[in-house]
Amino acid sequence: MNILTEEAAIEGKNIIKDFQLGDTKTRVLKNISLKVIQGEFVSIMGQSGSGKSTLLYILGGLDVPTSGSVFINGMDISKFNDEKMSRIRRQNIGFVFQFYNLIPNLNVAENIMLPLLLDGKKMRDYKKPLKDILEVVGLWDKRGHTPRELSGGQQQRVAIARALIGNPEILFADEPTGNLDSHTGAEIMSLLQRINKERGQTIIMVTHSPEAAKSSSRVITVSDGQLQ
Amino acid sequence: MKIILKYILTNVKERKARTFVMLLSILLSAMLLFISFSIGVSYESAQRKMARGMAGSATVSVQSVEGGIHADHIPALPDIQTKAGIVEGTSLYHENGYYETVDLLAADMEALNQINKPRLIGDGEVTAFSGNQIILPDRFTSKYGIEKGDTVTLQINGSPVDFEVAEIAAYDTVFLRHTRGATALLPLETIKEVLGWEDGYSEILIEPAPNSTTGNLISELKNALDNGKYRVSEVVNEAQIAADARQKSMPFFLISFFSLTMSIFIIYSSYKVITLDRLPIIGTFRSIGATEKTVTCILLLESLFYGCTGGLIGIPVGMIVLKGILQGMGKSLSQGIEIPAVISVPGVILSFAVAVIVSLFSAWLPVCRASRLPIKDIVLGTAEEKYIPRPLIVGIGIVLFIVSALLPRFASGTMLYLAGGFSLSGLIAAAILVIPVFTNLASAGLERFYGAAAGNEGRIAARNMKDNKNVTQNITLLFISISAIIAIRVVGNFVTTYISDVFHGAELQGFADGHMNPEFVEQVKEMDGAEKVLPLYVFKNNVQGNSEPISRLEGTDNLEWYNSMFALHYTDRLMSEQAALSFASGERAVIINEDCMKRGGFSIGDRIMLSNGTSGNSYVVAGSFKSRATDVEAVIPSMYAVSDFGASDYDLLAYTAADPDAIMVQIRALFGETSNWSRTVEEFNNDALATVGAFLQPMHSMTYFILLLATVGVINNLLINYIQKRRTIAMYKSIGLSNRQNRKMTLIEGFSSGLMGAVIAIVVSYMEIQTIFLVAGPQISMTPELDIWTFLVAGTLGIIVTLLGSIVPIFKSRKMKLVEEIKFE
Repeated sequence: MNILTEEAAIEGKNIIKDFQLGDTKTRVLKNISLKVIQGEFVSIMGQSGSGKSTLLYILGGLDVPTSGSVFINGMDISKFNDEKMSRIRRQNIGFVFQFYNLIPNLNVAENIMLPLLLDGKKMRDYKKPLKDILEVVGLWDKRGHTPRELSGGQQQRVAIARALIGNPEILFADEPTGNLDSHTGAEIMSLLQRINKERGQTIIMVTHSPEAAKSSSRVITVSDGQLQ
Repeated sequence: MKIILKYILTNVKERKARTFVMLLSILLSAMLLFISFSIGVSYESAQRKMARGMAGSATVSVQSVEGGIHADHIPALPDIQTKAGIVEGTSLYHENGYYETVDLLAADMEALNQINKPRLIGDGEVTAFSGNQIILPDRFTSKYGIEKGDTVTLQINGSPVDFEVAEIAAYDTVFLRHTRGATALLPLETIKEVLGWEDGYSEILIEPAPNSTTGNLISELKNALDNGKYRVSEVVNEAQIAADARQKSMPFFLISFFSLTMSIFIIYSSYKVITLDRLPIIGTFRSIGATEKTVTCILLLESLFYGCTGGLIGIPVGMIVLKGILQGMGKSLSQGIEIPAVISVPGVILSFAVAVIVSLFSAWLPVCRASRLPIKDIVLGTAEEKYIPRPLIVGIGIVLFIVSALLPRFASGTMLYLAGGFSLSGLIAAAILVIPVFTNLASAGLERFYGAAAGNEGRIAARNMKDNKNVTQNITLLFISISAIIAIRVVGNFVTTYISDVFHGAELQGFADGHMNPEFVEQVKEMDGAEKVLPLYVFKNNVQGNSEPISRLEGTDNLEWYNSMFALHYTDRLMSEQAALSFASGERAVIINEDCMKRGGFSIGDRIMLSNGTSGNSYVVAGSFKSRATDVEAVIPSMYAVSDFGASDYDLLAYTAADPDAIMVQIRALFGETSNWSRTVEEFNNDALATVGAFLQPMHSMTYFILLLATVGVINNLLINYIQKRRTIAMYKSIGLSNRQNRKMTLIEGFSSGLMGAVIAIVVSYMEIQTIFLVAGPQISMTPELDIWTFLVAGTLGIIVTLLGSIVPIFKSRKMKLVEEIKFE
């Protein structure tokens, strides 16, 4: 079931991002505007240094634009303070990174539950969603293991489960298969595709891999800080 | 080589904060160690100076068995450098009912200037010193408000003699003493006249020639002189002085021990991070052909730089601090005793060597571990630390802890010192091994508590501490720091009390030393506010036990009060009751101090003959004891002091009272013009503190340095913690952790680390103190008092330091660039 509606899940308007390197100011994103509608699976591609990851992090609120705005559910997140932005990250969006970014001394279940715990929820009230998501990512039997006891693919699946536990509207993924072999990478892409189709979650993914991009419904190419 | 050096120097330059912390920790350790060595030597030298007092550089004394001695009686031996004849006498100074002993001394000034030149206030010379003139130390003159040119009256052989104060001298050289009272210098002819001394000198002090030893000179003199006519002896017991100084410098070495332990930990933990940071560089070096040895050498060269620089700066800084401390000591003694800083070459070399070795050794472990990692793993970033099974580590930790705690209890003699050293290090090592498991257990317990008290952030913070190496590292350093402070504080306070309060634990609040008849005693008992009044018959050097001279024998009619008034520690607890029963039954019983028991070869239950040359009786030895409050060697029931040795009047009276000062004023009034030496315990202690208490001041100053080192270590650890943790914080932030939540979690973690560090420190320091006193125990007749507040305050300080240290990571993580932290592995 692909729940695609014409309503914008996220919208970026006139995004400009400058980086200061020593005395030199470099414009990485040059007035980018884009809209991703709810339920869409968008891949952002581009060469190294093109600005695709910077765009993803700005859209996801991990970085702020030098100028321009990002709207999630109609709210301009670029003007949010830390408290509001943190709440958006807990409730409305999920992130998957190339290097998993799991907390090494917490087990799988605890890592997955973190966004809910930070949101003040009680672990005992979310046993069912936890079980469901662990089954979706196929790690129910590994729930008590720590990240170091898992393979790269399994760790990435934990990261996906953590991103999904709060049932966010948008899932951001930064090269989710970049650190995996091709077989495991394909498994992860298939999982993301399934999530997008079955749960209707909007996914915005940065990738180098044309193979991975095939899983998405739209591909955006960034070149020299601009959309092609 | 040039490139490697450049690489090392660039590392040092670029990591300014880390370089500063590492250098500071090595510098402080080198400095503390140097001060500990030097202060021990300086202290010993000052002690020796005080004990020698009038003898100065003379180490041998020759006296005539009967009458005086003349300078020409001493043979002209090549091993003699200088000989100074002196005449000694005693007098009493009396003011407002307060008597003070003033020992009189006169010598040929030329010879005296060679062995022990008096140091006058204002640095003048003693000239035209004749007639009824006197030179007094400023310690005495300032106490009684005496000025140069004043007239003082001294009681000599019961008659008052007036002297004009010709000069006031520093409380130094000839005036130094380690017993109560004061020393006064008189012209030689004057002292002979007032004492009625006609026959040469009372003693001749001899300074050995530079290449001769005291022992050699004594044996040469004994061979040359008629032993029946002359007594040749060492001026002071050098071995005893060295032993005393060792005991008093013990806290300083304890400070060094802890500072070194902390430095090792600071450098070790820093290097763990440095090597982790540099794994890619190590990989690069290895991939282009550098051997394991080369990589180890490159990294160790950097730590060598820290060791050498820290040592080279630390020792001169130590010299300045030492001088400051010793000057402070001099000033805190109101009369300004001069204690020169003795800087020993072995002390300098050892402190520098320790700084370098500690730095190299602490870095060696993590560096070697990193150098041995497979190149492929380093290059691919998959290198992991070798896993050691936790039960094995905990097992070793528990066994080590038990062995370290028990070993000193079963060792004796020299082995006791070795066992003590092993125990001190072993307890710390054992705690380090057990800390990870303790942290896990504690975090599990705290998770529930924080969950209820601080919500999910508290729960996550507690859970985050589980299996967290940064947290265990932090707790380890904190516990070492806190236990160091506790141990140094407790031992320091103990040494202060031990040295300056001989009446510690004794019930008496005042004493009167003088001739008192029964009516006098009755009047004291009648005084308003007097509680316990214990009069004693005293026999000095005129009673023998089985022909063994007893220097002081006392008679009492209340042994129970005697025990408590003078804090008698019986060799065996049951002995106290046995002795009380024997005294109460009317038996001829005696209790004897442990030294006298040993000297006389007496045993409990023996019957010994106590005699004074004219009469004697058999007494049963009912007990043995030691006491710091009295130098009595034997105590008998007063009824036998009267019947067997003819005692009629008392010579010592101890008392307790609601207002000891008020009673003392009345006692002094009762004595009137009769000479006596009467003090309240407070007066006595103040006098004692003025002499020895100031020596202990440096120890307290050094506690602050160790606190500084501990703070440096904790801040270093928190920074390391932050460096290692910032990625985790970024991960948390990427999934929605706000700055407020981060602040809450960091503070909870900081508080919990502080709490755990404090709890472990309290337990370990308690065990360390037990070890220290087990090792020192045989030489001391006093048990340490452990004040719970010392432990609690140190623990609380530790928690505060950790909480304060959490502020930096909180602020740093607020400004954290999330993308930079998360994106790169």
